[in-house]
Amino acid sequence: MINYSKFEINETKLEAKYGLPSELKYCRSCVISNQRPNSTVEYQHTENSKKETIHFDEEGVCDACRFAESKTKIIDWKQREQELIDLCNKYRKKDGSYDCLIPGSGGKDSFYAAHILKYKYGMHPLTVTWAPHIYTPWGWHNFQAWLNAGFDNFLCTPNPRTHRLLTRIAVENLFHPFQPFIFGQKSLAPKMALSHDIKLVFYGENEAEYGNPISDTSLAKRDWKYFAAEDKSKVYLGGVSLEALERDFGVEPVELLPYIPANPDELEQKKVEVHYLGYYLRWHPQECFYYAVENGGFKPSPERTVGTYSKYNSIDDKIDDFHYYTTYIKFGIGRATYDAAQEIRNEEITREEGVALVKKFDGEFPERFAEEIFQYLSIPEKDFPVAFKMFEQPMIDRDYFMALTDTFRSPHLWKRENGSWKLRYPIYEERREDYE
Amino acid sequence: MSNIRLMARLDVKGPNLVKGVQLEGLRKIGDPHVFAKEYYDQGIDELIYIDIVASLYERNNLLEIVRSATKDVFIPLTVGGGIRTVEDVRDVLRAGADKVAINTAAIKRPELIREISKRFGSQCMVLSIEAKKVIQGKWEAYYDNGREKTGIDVIEWAKRGYELGAGEILLTSVDMEGTAKGFDVDLVKATSNAVPIPVIASGGMGNINDMISVINDGCADAIAMAHVLHYKKLTVQEVRDYAASCNVNVRRLKHGQDNVG
Repeated sequence: MINYSKFEINETKLEAKYGLPSELKYCRSCVISNQRPNSTVEYQHTENSKKETIHFDEEGVCDACRFAESKTKIIDWKQREQELIDLCNKYRKKDGSYDCLIPGSGGKDSFYAAHILKYKYGMHPLTVTWAPHIYTPWGWHNFQAWLNAGFDNFLCTPNPRTHRLLTRIAVENLFHPFQPFIFGQKSLAPKMALSHDIKLVFYGENEAEYGNPISDTSLAKRDWKYFAAEDKSKVYLGGVSLEALERDFGVEPVELLPYIPANPDELEQKKVEVHYLGYYLRWHPQECFYYAVENGGFKPSPERTVGTYSKYNSIDDKIDDFHYYTTYIKFGIGRATYDAAQEIRNEEITREEGVALVKKFDGEFPERFAEEIFQYLSIPEKDFPVAFKMFEQPMIDRDYFMALTDTFRSPHLWKRENGSWKLRYPIYEERREDYE
Repeated sequence: MSNIRLMARLDVKGPNLVKGVQLEGLRKIGDPHVFAKEYYDQGIDELIYIDIVASLYERNNLLEIVRSATKDVFIPLTVGGGIRTVEDVRDVLRAGADKVAINTAAIKRPELIREISKRFGSQCMVLSIEAKKVIQGKWEAYYDNGREKTGIDVIEWAKRGYELGAGEILLTSVDMEGTAKGFDVDLVKATSNAVPIPVIASGGMGNINDMISVINDGCADAIAMAHVLHYKKLTVQEVRDYAASCNVNVRRLKHGQDNVG
C-alpha cells in the first residue's frame, strides 16, 4: 500500500529515496538534473544501495557538460589519435588471428568503432554481441548491416527463460528491467577476450561523457570493477545473491554462467586490456549515425522512440522504452532528458529546445510494446515451477505494473494532485529566479 | 507540356540550414541565406524553405528568414513549417513567400486546406506529405518531421488534399530522404497518377540519373534537391544541362546566363 500523505502538495519534510540529493537542481547548461545516478557496479546493486549522482560545479554546471567543453577546448585530439595509432601498432597481428575485440549491438556507435578500427587503423577485430531482451525488427536489421560491413561476430543469447526471471526480479526489487542486459554488456567482452586469447578490448564512448565522474575520462582503460569480481559470494543479480537464486528461485548454477563476471586474476595474468575508443577519438553520436548510414546500411527506427524525439539511438531492444520509463519514475529523468542533454552538449540543439522536448516527450508511458513486455515479465508456474512461488502475483498485468510503479516514486520528486502523479519541479516550470 | 521545375529545398532549424538522413540526425550545414543566394545565382527555378522542427517545438520563426531571402532572391518561394492557421499563412505571404507548404496542421485539421485555398487561391496551397513505405505499393503519411505515424494512406490523403483545394503536393519519401540513393519512384508515380495537380518529388536524389528516372518513370512535375546541392556534389547548372540533354523539358538559360544575368 502506498502512503499518499508523503506525496501531498504541501508536504515539507520530503523523503528522498535511493540516497538521491534531497534538493533537486537542473544543470545550467543542459537539462540533466542532479538526480542522475552514476553508473553503478550492478553486481553490488541491492534494494538498499545508495546512489552516487552526477557532480555539479559551483556554477551549477554538470560534469558531462564540462567534459564536453574539454572535448572542444582542452584535449589535443591529434595527440590522442597518435596514442591510438601507437596502441594499434603494439597489438596489431599479421599472423591471421584477431588482434582486438569489439563488443557492440550494431548500433551507430559500435558500427563506427568496429569499422574505423578495421578500415582506417588496420586492425583485425572480432565483434561480440550480447543479445537484447527482445530485438526490434530494425535492431535486427542494423545488427545484420553491421556484420555485412565486414565483421565476424559471436552473438551470445542468454537462455531467455533465465533472462526473463532475472529481469522480473530486477523489476520487482530495483525497478530496473535493463539490469540483466547491463551484466552481459559489461562482462561478455572481457570473458570472450580471455577465451579467444585476444589482449585488447575496445568499448566506444566513456560513460563519463554522460556524467560519471570526470576523473574517469582521463584514462583510456576501463575500471575493472565494472566487469570483474573477485568473490562470487558478493555477486548479486537483481539484488538477489547467487545462493538465493539457486535456493529460492530454482535456478541451476549453469544457468547463471553468462552473468558471472570475469575473473580479475585471469584478466591480469593474461594481460587483457579494456580501452575506450572515445578516449582516443572525439566521439560525436550524430556523426556516428552519419558514418553508419554512409558506410553500411544503418537505418533509424521507423517511428520516434517512446518517451523521446529521436529515432537513431538505442533502438534495438523492446525493453528500452521501459528502462527509460523506470528512470523517469525513480529519478525524474526520462529518455527525452537524456537525449536532449546529450544533443545540447554536442551543440545539435539549444537548451531552450531541450526544455521544450522534455516537456513534450519525457515520461510518456511506453504503450507500443507494453503487452509484450508484461508477458515477458510474467512467471507462469508451468515454466517456472519453483520461482513462481516467490512472487505475490507471478503474472504481470497493467494494474499490477502501475501499482508497482508507484512504490518506486520518491516523495521528494513526485506529488499527488487531483488523483494523478506530477513531478514537483519539472524543468519546464523552472522559475527565472532560480538562475539568479 | 509545362516545364519540369528544379527546386532547392532548404530545411532550417533556428538560424541554421540543416540536413538529416531520413529526416533524423540533423546536421548543421550553414547559413540558409548564403545557400539560397548561391542556388538563385546558379539558376534554380524555385526555393522551398521548411522549418522542419517548427511543429515539434510548436513555434514559428520563418518570417525573418523569408524577409531576408526576398531581398535578393527573386524566384517563387515556398515556405513551410509550423503554419497552423489562415493568419499564419497571411503573415508568411506578406513576408514575401509565394506559397505555403503544410503537413502537420493539415493532418490534424484537413479543413485548413479548404480555408487557405479559398482565401488565397489554391496556387499557393502546397500540401506537404511525408510518406513512409508500409509494403510494396502502400505508404503511410507521417508528421512532425517523420516522427509521428498517422495511419493515413498517402494516396488517399493526396486525393483528399486535392479535393479540398491543394494546388500542389510536396511529396517527401522518409525512407529515401538524405540517403542519396534515389527517389522512391513508385511513390511519386502512384501519387502523380492519383491527382491532376503537380507533384514535387523530394527525398533521395544522389545523382543526375535519379532525377531523370523520377521524371520519366515517376511522372514528377518538379524535383526538390538538398543533399546533392548542399554537399556540393552537383551544381544547378549541371543538373539543368543534363536534364536538357536527356530531352527533359526544363527552363533553358542561355550559356553563361543565370538568374542574375
